[in-house]
Amino acid sequence: MKLLAHLFWAAVAAAAALCLGGIALYRGEHINSIWLVLAAACTYATGYRLYSKFLAARVLALDDRRATPGERLRDGHDFEPTNKWIVFGQHFAAIAGPGPLVGPVLAAQFGYLPGTLWIIIGATLGGAVQDFIVLAASIRRDGKSLGEIAREEIGKVAGFVSLVTVLLIMIIMLAVMALVVVNALRGSPWGTFTIAATMPIAILMGLYLRFWRPGKVLECSALGFLLVLAAIAGGQAVAKSAALAPVFTLSAMALAVAIIIYGFLASALPVWLLLAPRGYLSTFVKLGVIMMLAVGILFVRPGLQLPALTRFVDGTGPIFAGKIFPFCFITIACGAVSGFHALIASGTTPKLIAAESHARAVGYGSMALESFVALMAMIAACVLQPGVYFAVNSPAGVVGTTPAAAVATISSWGFPVSVADMTGLANDVGEQSLFYRTGGAPSLALGMAHIFARGGGGRAVIGFWYHFAIMFEALFILTIIDAGTRVGRFMLQDFLGHLTPKMGRAGGLPAVVATSAVIVTAWGYFLVQGVRDPLGGINSLWPLFGISNQLLAAIALSVCTTILVKTHGARYMWVTCAPLLWLILVTFTAAWQKIFSPVPAIGFLAQAAKLEAAAGGTLDASTRTLIFNARLDAAVCAVFMVLVAAVLVDSMRVWIGILRGVRPAALCESPFVVSRLRAEEL
Amino acid sequence: MRALRRAGRLALALLRELADESAYQRHLAAHGRKHSGEEWRRFSDHRLGQTYARPKCC
Repeated sequence: MKLLAHLFWAAVAAAAALCLGGIALYRGEHINSIWLVLAAACTYATGYRLYSKFLAARVLALDDRRATPGERLRDGHDFEPTNKWIVFGQHFAAIAGPGPLVGPVLAAQFGYLPGTLWIIIGATLGGAVQDFIVLAASIRRDGKSLGEIAREEIGKVAGFVSLVTVLLIMIIMLAVMALVVVNALRGSPWGTFTIAATMPIAILMGLYLRFWRPGKVLECSALGFLLVLAAIAGGQAVAKSAALAPVFTLSAMALAVAIIIYGFLASALPVWLLLAPRGYLSTFVKLGVIMMLAVGILFVRPGLQLPALTRFVDGTGPIFAGKIFPFCFITIACGAVSGFHALIASGTTPKLIAAESHARAVGYGSMALESFVALMAMIAACVLQPGVYFAVNSPAGVVGTTPAAAVATISSWGFPVSVADMTGLANDVGEQSLFYRTGGAPSLALGMAHIFARGGGGRAVIGFWYHFAIMFEALFILTIIDAGTRVGRFMLQDFLGHLTPKMGRAGGLPAVVATSAVIVTAWGYFLVQGVRDPLGGINSLWPLFGISNQLLAAIALSVCTTILVKTHGARYMWVTCAPLLWLILVTFTAAWQKIFSPVPAIGFLAQAAKLEAAAGGTLDASTRTLIFNARLDAAVCAVFMVLVAAVLVDSMRVWIGILRGVRPAALCESPFVVSRLRAEEL
Repeated sequence: MRALRRAGRLALALLRELADESAYQRHLAAHGRKHSGEEWRRFSDHRLGQTYARPKCC
């Protein structure tokens, strides 16, 4: 029986190698997406079965006899030992954000191959390892957060820097996510109406849940979902109405202002009224759409239209500038390695784990599934005709300000597309135009609509599916924006509360309004900067977000390495040091290039110098702002590098001290208590 | 068939967990209280206050 199992897993590993080799080496005709699905599924299965088992048994020495914080600190609220698969679902729902959907769509400008390999290999050897080890570490430390673990295991500098980094990353993340929504809804009355309608729907749900049917969250969410579907249908009528369509046809700047106001209100209003009902609805829609997309891809098995590698591997890409190394690896963060996951793995999840061994499925397994979501986004982008993909995603500043100029530029790259193709597609999906819709969301929605419509209904329903996908993406992202603004406000209040209690959490309404305004202004500034950017904003902001997220992963992996060094000496350091070294190489190279590259499309300082030179001696207000913004982005990048370098130096000081034997290798774990949970409770 | 039913039960349990309905039942059991609008609001305020004080993943 054991031999049979060995043979089975050897076959799965061989299939993984065959599929990966196949997609990496095969050139010529278009390949079917099922090869990517098989390569990913077999690699994740092999990684889970072999590598995560090794990590659980040897590296982390997980022990089910040891009571988890869920059992020891059980309070019926946060600490509660819960069924493994329920925790798995909850953790997956928490880590699955819009990042793994948008990043791969943008990285598809290099072709499907680089992004796909990074998603699969990065998650198996890096992202899933980080999530798993951070989760296990948090379980052994009463469910403490990454910042607290960093402070205890490395030192005060690491703990403080982790907190500051998280706040800065959140500001950049909120801005870039808001920009994705702005670009998806700009000039789209159908999409704008649908998303605007979700606000009163959420408020109605909040009142329903608070006063009419308290506690009936599933019932209320089902009702909300039906209303959202009605809003999508209503959006089509609005788009066709001569009176209403202009009201909901908004410019990018008007949408940016609307989202900034929304962020402020969501941060200041009671949670139950707007945030919570939207959050519940978004979670269910998110899980449902991801399942639909998986089923759709397996059912339709679409062929990939984009080539394995495009000419833009040389760094001249229209969506964002820069070569595969390092830019592919920072563009796809959440689908491969995401520092933000470390915050979730050291947040709610460890408090729900019933047995230490469950951390393997929850930590490693959830990340593998998240990576699969990223792969599906890559497939959805690559099923589009390359000419259409580039016409949708390229900014006017790169391809030309008229549709005729844009198609001429894109066709000259070897990706033929015509104005008639784009007009026909826009008519099919009920949009006025699909040119210059940067940010990834519209092309992802087109790819998803293409797959869903091929599953049944064809061109007659493609408009509905396109706007369903846009609604899903925007709802999802706005949930991140409203919750993120609120969390940022809390972090700022906690910090200011040390200086003056009036500005702390107990400071009342003036403190809430003031700190909400500060956070909204911070990310709103970057959002407006992105809207004004002649290169579309994504070219500047997405790499900044990718760098910051991966730098947070570097902090998390430094913490993990410190724990491994304290536990085993140098023996298993490679487990976290290998992905850490890769991330340091990638992020520091990317950050350095974003600051100092002499190519204006890449380097912020070169961009500022070019603008200055072009203006001659007479700088108008808008050019001055663009120059200031480019220098500000360079400064933000530099701050990230310095912060993470501080954590790395602090960590290495600890590692060297322990390995030389001049520093105690004491772990700050909670004491061993024998578990008393019965088998049925596990 | 049994496996399918088990999977269905698990899916429903997951939905109830994501919807905080299970946590509410645990709260009622832990404190020996009965469901009421006031009780739900008390539970919900505490729960949501904690949920929305933590960063959401990108």
